[in-house]
Amino acid sequence: MQKNFFNPQSIAVIGASRTPGKVGYDILKNILQYGYQGAVYPINPEAPEILGVKAYLSILDIPGEVGLAVVVVPPPKVGEVISQCGAKKIDSAIIITAGFGESGSEGTKLEDDLVRRAKESGMRFIGPNCLGVIDTHSRVNASFAAGMPATGSIGFFSQSGALCVAVLDRALAEDIGFSKFISMGNKADISDTDIMLALAEDDNTKVILGYIEGVKDGKQFMEVASQVSKKKPLIILKSGITSSGARAASSHTGALSGREASFDAAFKQSGVTRAHSFADLFNYALAFADQPLPQGPNIVIITNSGGPGILAADASDRSGLQLISLRKEIVDKLRTFLPSFASFYNPVDILGDASAERYEKALTTVLEDDKVNGVIVLLTPTAIVDVEATAKAVASIANSTDKPILTSFMGKKRVEPGAKILMKSHVPNYSYPEEAVSSLNAMYHYQLWINRPDKTYARVDDLKEKVSYIFEKVKGENRERLSESEVYEVLKTYGFSQPKSLFARTSEEAVAAAKGIGYPIAMKIISPQIIHKSDAGGIRLNLNSKKEVADAFFDITTRVKDIMPAATIYGVMIQEMVLGGKEVIIGITKDAQFGHTIMFGLGGIYVEVLKDISFRIAPLSHEDAIEMIKEIKTFPLLRGVRGEVGADIGAIKKSLLSFSQMTLDFPQIIEADINPLLVRKRGEGVIAVDARFTVGGE
Amino acid sequence: MITLYVGSTTGYSGKSLVSMGLGHKFKQDGLKVGFFKPMGILPIKIDDTLTDKDAWFIYRLFDLKDPLADICPVVVTQEFIYKGYLKEVKGLLGRIVKSYQRLSEDKDILVAGGSGSIYTGSVLGIPGYKVIQRLNAKVIIVVKYEGEYIVDYILQAKKDLKDKFLGAILNKVTHEYRHGVDEYIVPFLKRKGVDILGILPHDSILGSITVEELSDILGGKVLCCHDKLDNLVEHFLIGAMQVDRAIEYFRKTRKNAVIVGGDRADIQLSAIESGTKCLVLTGDLYPSEIIISRAEQKDIPILVVRDDTYMVAKKVQRLSVRLRLRDKAKVTHGIEQVIKNVNFPVLYEKLGIKIR
Repeated sequence: MQKNFFNPQSIAVIGASRTPGKVGYDILKNILQYGYQGAVYPINPEAPEILGVKAYLSILDIPGEVGLAVVVVPPPKVGEVISQCGAKKIDSAIIITAGFGESGSEGTKLEDDLVRRAKESGMRFIGPNCLGVIDTHSRVNASFAAGMPATGSIGFFSQSGALCVAVLDRALAEDIGFSKFISMGNKADISDTDIMLALAEDDNTKVILGYIEGVKDGKQFMEVASQVSKKKPLIILKSGITSSGARAASSHTGALSGREASFDAAFKQSGVTRAHSFADLFNYALAFADQPLPQGPNIVIITNSGGPGILAADASDRSGLQLISLRKEIVDKLRTFLPSFASFYNPVDILGDASAERYEKALTTVLEDDKVNGVIVLLTPTAIVDVEATAKAVASIANSTDKPILTSFMGKKRVEPGAKILMKSHVPNYSYPEEAVSSLNAMYHYQLWINRPDKTYARVDDLKEKVSYIFEKVKGENRERLSESEVYEVLKTYGFSQPKSLFARTSEEAVAAAKGIGYPIAMKIISPQIIHKSDAGGIRLNLNSKKEVADAFFDITTRVKDIMPAATIYGVMIQEMVLGGKEVIIGITKDAQFGHTIMFGLGGIYVEVLKDISFRIAPLSHEDAIEMIKEIKTFPLLRGVRGEVGADIGAIKKSLLSFSQMTLDFPQIIEADINPLLVRKRGEGVIAVDARFTVGGE
Repeated sequence: MITLYVGSTTGYSGKSLVSMGLGHKFKQDGLKVGFFKPMGILPIKIDDTLTDKDAWFIYRLFDLKDPLADICPVVVTQEFIYKGYLKEVKGLLGRIVKSYQRLSEDKDILVAGGSGSIYTGSVLGIPGYKVIQRLNAKVIIVVKYEGEYIVDYILQAKKDLKDKFLGAILNKVTHEYRHGVDEYIVPFLKRKGVDILGILPHDSILGSITVEELSDILGGKVLCCHDKLDNLVEHFLIGAMQVDRAIEYFRKTRKNAVIVGGDRADIQLSAIESGTKCLVLTGDLYPSEIIISRAEQKDIPILVVRDDTYMVAKKVQRLSVRLRLRDKAKVTHGIEQVIKNVNFPVLYEKLGIKIR
């Protein structure tokens, strides 16, 4: 991305205004008043000068070179202005003007025209419909925001201009330092990924913060995010995750909001630290910007009262962090200076009468334990506590250790001066203990991400050619679904074991087939119109005799005919009854933004009622596959509980990777699942009991 | 002994309803009534005896004592069709005649119910019109009135059935059609030698379905109010609008079931509050506990189905053409309708029955 967006030699404000209160006035004023050192050229055909600066008739009249153009003219004129900028060899523009893609079909036409003109003249632009850009280091405030934040290391980009304003306001109030502020607007040219890459390269930015409502190209987003997050923490708040939110988001900027599960998976796979609320976004930013990353999950909580300590302990338990037991020497050392009724174990309760000195000693002592990876210091403003002295003591220790220290001085009025001292000393302070825990947890997970080895992908023999004839046939016949036998062939080719099966058209054939396979057997209806066999009463399990098989044949065929009189019944499949093992489900769906998504969950009621499922965007690495298996809440059931031998997790992983491979081989798959996939004991593999494949598009 | 065959030009025209109504009236009038279903297409096994569901229902309704196997001698199962296509099936007509003879022994009148149309059964060599000739039965044709075009079918049936044809009963005649039927259709047919023996108006109770049947057909899972599965649903509404509009729409329609996505809690609540008979939640999405407990308070069963709203709507649209009479309240009501709207004096005269 062009350097001129953030550090231009000169800035032209096209559409600068003499009238206070107009955007064209506020922007010029912002550029002038915060110490920008370059030349500034207001463009206004009617005014000779604005705010004491000489104004020009048009951009072409400016004598020298222009680095950055800020455009505030009405929508129909923007296109022409962009062409003029091109003629003036300006390579970067910020288009503040609204009334484009967000406002209907006329606006969309204008926006398309903008993009075309910018391409023609080789320039890039941010916006339209944005608040502008701020760089606190180069002192550029090319925005109509009220104020300029302190210089700092947080780079923030946002699809919503209003959110920029809100963040800025809080930053000003709490003196939080930012490096850059970028309001993205409609993202007609410069996209989230462009900005992420630019901020990743920016030496002044330590943490990247983003607010997005949707992305245009999911795969590209993941690629860039993975690259960026390896360099710097990338914290993103994605809105529009609920259906109501998605409706609001789609109508807000006309961007498709995307499925929550897909975003969640994409963020996990590309190292994005996900903020679930506006508060998270701020909280995480502070922690990441000012504190070193914890090198492990082990934390200690120091508190001067019980309740907050318990809250913090609870929050830790729900996160990936652990309250470790302190080494005996450390506990003994604590005993030497803490009152006898203090709690020497974690959380360390140094009691309500704790002085700054006691805090200092306790903190220094627990940091001596090399197992401790981070400390959270809690304080409630008792009558005895000296808030300011404690803040100073904690800050001084925090600034001399390589372990993260986060604080929560709870309350408002009495802790305010302490909070200010902490913030000034770059020790993040939170109103509530849970916020401190959740921030430290985010840091811990980010640390895992940057230290994790590169992803490895399975090498798969070329299976595609062996079954591509099936997919061609399905396409040739204009079908959406693969038939039973086609599914069997595909799964077999991709290495799935399946129960022994024989097709039968009559009850006599069914009985003979059952005898051939051996009792007990399962029976399934075979009809092209019936996709979900069990819903239509088309499955019988555990049939043990000739009579049971014959009766089941009668029942199944009659029942299906009754419910769906128009269904063609080819007959039934007699299948070996696979006994034992745990039912899981694996699936493929196709997401509008991220493409193929692989799903995993425990089968039956777990997937339907509890929705205990995990997702990853294909293709899956080995690590992705293992993570998604471990992510479901019911994973302990697979691992084996109470001494029971665990399920064959390696085989599940292999199945997920095979599904992932299929999405690469056959992008036309829009939906597939194996349900149930029966997982046997460790080393015994999996069996695909029932499966479906739907193709379409392309 | 008189044999009265109730046939039709299409399936799902109301033959079973008419058979039940006629039989009931014959019994009331002191006749010894029997029931016979030469060929059944809805197989069911009762204590290992293969029979037809409609036949089994009427058998119990008429409180018959004949051997069940004779009531429906030919039952078309999946395998039977399969075998019928592969090679000629012989001897079925003979089997029908033997059962018929046993059944007719001690009866005054035997109501024989057709399956599908009078042409159905050709694959197995036993189309209705052939059975009629063989049993020397008199025939009433039940016609679902769907517009003037049915006139052609009636005339064709009369031609094919020759002297066996007694007349027709028009069924499900809606209010909108009634005027034209009285004004033109009946007089025209009369002129062509066809007597209309009854006109059954369209009836929303008969067109209703129990929640249980609905659940079966949609492959649904019942989440609550299992004791309310006999709720009758007459109309289906799709809940895909804004909430304020929805409530109005739900209130306007009596005995409705609302089909709505499982994630639309707002619409679900408005349906519950406006007293729907059943909630059909689509997309395999389960509602929140609040919805379930509210539905329980109001005795409204909830079904969760896998299909999306469009698919369910498509299925319920097809439903109305294939409703079966099973529910007791519906049957009683249906019989009343037949007795009220069929011209029995003319029918008796044509059959040569004199009531003492």
